Amino acid sequence: MKKGDRFFKFITLSPIVIYTSLLILLPLIYIFFLSFCKNDSYGGIIYDFTLSNYIAIFDITYLNIFVKSSLIAFIATFICICISYPFALILRERSENLQNLMTKLIMIPFLTNSLIRTYGWIVLLRKNGIVNSILITSGLIENPLSLMYNNLGIIIGMSYTLLPFMVLPVCSSVFKIDNTLIEAARDLGAKPWAIFKKIIIPETISGVFNGSLMVFIPAIGYFFISDILGGGKAMIIGNLIKNQFLTARNWPFGSAISIFLIIITFFLVWIYRKLGGKLDDLGGM
Amino acid sequence: MKYIKLLIIIVSLILVTGCNRSSDYDGVLNVLNWSSYIPDSVIHDFEEEYNIKVNYGTYSSNEELLAKVTSSKEGTYDLVFPSDYMVELMKEKNIIMKLDKDKILNYYNIDDTFLHQSYDPYNEYSLPFLSTVVVIAVNEANITDNITGYNDLLMSKYKNNIVILDDQRIVIGMSLMALGYDMNETDPKALKEAEEWLIKLKQNIKAYDSDSPKTFFITDEVDIGIMWSAEAILARDENPNINIIYPSEGHAISMDNYVILKGSKNVDNAYLFIDYLLRDDVSKKIIAEYPYISPNKSIYNTISLDDIFNKGYYVENIGSNIKEYDKLWADIK
Amino acid sequence: MKHKKLKNIFIGLVLFFLYLPIIVLVVYSFNTSKMNIVFEGFTFDWYKNLFNNRDLIEAFINTLIIAVTSTVVSTIIGTLGAVGLNKYDFKFKSFINLLIYIPIVIPEIVLGISLLSIYTLTKIELGMFTLILSHIAFSIPFVIVSVRSTLSSTLKTYEEAAKDLGANSMNTFFKVTLPQMMPGVISGAILAFTLSLDDVVISYFTSGPGSNTLPLKIYSMIKTGISPDVNALSTLMLLATMIILTTSAIIQSRKIVGGTK
Repeated sequence: MKKGDRFFKFITLSPIVIYTSLLILLPLIYIFFLSFCKNDSYGGIIYDFTLSNYIAIFDITYLNIFVKSSLIAFIATFICICISYPFALILRERSENLQNLMTKLIMIPFLTNSLIRTYGWIVLLRKNGIVNSILITSGLIENPLSLMYNNLGIIIGMSYTLLPFMVLPVCSSVFKIDNTLIEAARDLGAKPWAIFKKIIIPETISGVFNGSLMVFIPAIGYFFISDILGGGKAMIIGNLIKNQFLTARNWPFGSAISIFLIIITFFLVWIYRKLGGKLDDLGGM
Repeated sequence: MKYIKLLIIIVSLILVTGCNRSSDYDGVLNVLNWSSYIPDSVIHDFEEEYNIKVNYGTYSSNEELLAKVTSSKEGTYDLVFPSDYMVELMKEKNIIMKLDKDKILNYYNIDDTFLHQSYDPYNEYSLPFLSTVVVIAVNEANITDNITGYNDLLMSKYKNNIVILDDQRIVIGMSLMALGYDMNETDPKALKEAEEWLIKLKQNIKAYDSDSPKTFFITDEVDIGIMWSAEAILARDENPNINIIYPSEGHAISMDNYVILKGSKNVDNAYLFIDYLLRDDVSKKIIAEYPYISPNKSIYNTISLDDIFNKGYYVENIGSNIKEYDKLWADIK
Repeated sequence: MKHKKLKNIFIGLVLFFLYLPIIVLVVYSFNTSKMNIVFEGFTFDWYKNLFNNRDLIEAFINTLIIAVTSTVVSTIIGTLGAVGLNKYDFKFKSFINLLIYIPIVIPEIVLGISLLSIYTLTKIELGMFTLILSHIAFSIPFVIVSVRSTLSSTLKTYEEAAKDLGANSMNTFFKVTLPQMMPGVISGAILAFTLSLDDVVISYFTSGPGSNTLPLKIYSMIKTGISPDVNALSTLMLLATMIILTTSAIIQSRKIVGGTK
C-alpha cells in the first residue's frame, strides 16, 4: 500500500470506527452492564450483580404492558398494511408520473413535524371535536364517541404518523414486480387470485416486512403519541422505559427493558433477512 | 463543490448568530420549574432588568425533577423548585446548598405561616415559593349530585368523566385517605386495598394530566377533576358552573420551594432571581396568571390558610417503599 | 368502469386521511376563538403572537443550529465511512457494518436512554453539545446507507482507471468518486436534516438547560394547554416544507431539460 493510500484509508475509516465504538457500541455495552446492576431507593446505581431486573420484566404488571403495547403496535402495523398494499397495487397500473406524484404527496405530511400532526388529531378526535360534531349533526350518533384518551386514539395516532414508513417500501416492492411474469401467468390461464398468491405476494413479502419493521418498532416506543392521544392512561413500552429513567429513577430496570427490546428487534430483523430483505433497504426512505 | 460552499456559509452564519446570542447577556441562570408556574413575561422582565439570560426548563413531578438533576452533571442547573418532601430528600442526598438569607432582601415579604415547616424547620435550605392543595372540581351544569369526597367519585355513572393528576404520590395518597389510612401509609395490606380502590376509580378516569388539567374542562371533555387548586380556579374563570370542593377525607398540600443546587455556577444570579420573585409586584403578577397560594404578605389568599395547614397532609418520604408505589402505579395505569 | 372509480376513491381517501389533520390545523390557525372548536372569525393574531414569542424563536434557532451542524458532520463522516467500508478490508469490518444498522432498527427511545446514560457516566453537561452529538449518532447510518446505494461496480472501474493514469487516492476521491456519489450524499444529507428537525424522542432525553428545540417546545406547548400559536407555527412550517419541495422539484426538472439539450 502506498503512503498516500494508507493516509486515505485512515481518513475514511477512523471517523466511522470512532463513531461506531463511542456512540453506538459503548452506550449499548453500558446499558447492558447497567441492566445487571441494583438500584437504591433514591435512584442511585449499586454496582452489584443481579438478575432481578430481568426477572421483574416477567412480572404480571409489566407483562401486561408488553402485551398491550405489542397489540397496539401490531394493530397499527396491520392498518398501515391494509392502506398501503391496495394503494400500491392500484398505483402500479398507473403511469410513472402519477406514481412519482403520489409518493411525493405522501412524503409532504411526513416532512412536517410529527408532534404537530399528532396535535391535529386532537382537534379532530376530541369529545366535541370535528369528527364527533359531524357525526352528531348528520344524525348518525346521539352521544359523542370516545375517539381519544384511549387505545383507539393511540392506534389512530400511530398508524397515521408511521404510515409513510409502510407506503414507501411497499410501493417500491410492488412497482418492481415484473409485468411479463404476470402476463405469462395470465396467458397460462392463472386466475387473478392465483397470480396474487403465487407471484405478487412472494415478490413483495420482504417489502411488506420492511415496512412492518419500520412501523412496529417505533410504535412500541413513541411515548409522545400515547401521552398526547392516550391521556397518559395507557402505558406503552416507551412510557415504561421513559418512566424508569425520568420518574421512577430505576435505571437498571429501564436498561433491562431496553436490552429486552433490542433482542426482540434483532429477532425481527433476522426474520426479515431470512425473507430475503436487505439491511440497506431499511434505512432508505 | 457549490453545495459545500453553500453549507459552509450557512453553518458560519448560524454559528455567528448563535454565539452573538449568549454574549448579549452579563450572565446566565439555569432554572428548572414546574410547568405553568411562572408567566413568561415575568421571566422576560427579569432578563431585561438584570441582563441575565434565564434558561428555563420544566418538569411535571418531583420525581422527574430529581431524575433530571441527578442524571445531569453537577452545576448543570442552578435553581429548582421541589415540593416539601423532595426538599427533605434532596437535603439527605446532599445535593442542595444552605441559603444565605442576607442575599435575599425580600425575605421579609414572606408570611411566617409558611415558614418553619416540618421538612426544613429552620428554612436553612429552602424558602417557600408557592403552595397548593389538591381539590375536586365539578362542573355542576352537568353533575347535580352532591359530591363531598373521593369516595363519591367511584359511582359508575361518572364513567370516563374524570381527569386526575399524573402524580403517583398524590393519587395513591388520595386513595389511602379515601380508605381512612394515612396519606403516606406503606403497609402492604393498605396498599393492596388502595390498588383495588384505584382500579374501581380507573373506569371513571378519562385522562391523567398534571400539566394542564383545566384544558379538559375548558374543552368540555370531563365534568370532574382531581387537580391543583389554581388549575381549578382557572377552569372556574372560564366556566362559572365549576364548583371547587375540599374532599371530606382530607386533602394533600404541597409547598414548592426555592432551592439552590450544590455546585451551581451562578449562585449570585440565583439569589437575584429569588429576590426578584419575592417582590410584591412580581408575586402579584404570578398570582394573577396562576392563582396558587402565595406566601407573600401583601397578597390576600382567597383560601383560608388555616384550612390548608391544619386539615391538609404533606407527602412524606417513604424510603425504599417507593418501589412498591412504583409498581402499584404501573399496575393501575 | 365502476372498478376504476372505486380505485380512485380509495386513493382519494388515503390522501384525505393523510392531509386531514394538516388542513384542520391550517384552517384553525386563522380562527379568532382560542378553543379550536367552532370557527368564529378570521384573524392573523396567532401569527403576530408567534413572532413575539421569544422562547419559540430561540427554540427555532437552536433547532436550526443543531440540524445544520449535525447534518454537516454526519454527512462528512458518513460519506467518508461509506467509501472506506466499500474500498478497504480490515479486521472488524463486518462487525462495524452490523453496528451501523443498530440506530436504524432499534427503537429511538433505547438509543436515547443509552446516550443519556453515557453522558451521565462521563459527566458531560447536557445541552447543545450533547444534542448535536446525539443527532449525529442517529443520522450517520442513514447517510451511509444513502451514499452506499450510489457506489456501484462501474465506479470501481472508473477509480481503477484513474489510478492507472497516475492519480493518487485523494485525487481519485475528489475527481471521480465524489461526483458520482453526489446524489447519494445530497439525499443522505437531506434525510439527516429532516430527521434532526423532527426528532422528539432522542432530544427529549439528551437536552439540557438552554437547549430547548422546536419539537420539545411544541411538545410542552401541547401539554400545557391549547394554543392556536401551535397551529400558526405548523402552518408556517408546512409552507416552508412546500416551498423547499417545489424549488427542489423545479431545479430537478431544469436539470433534466438541461441534460437533454
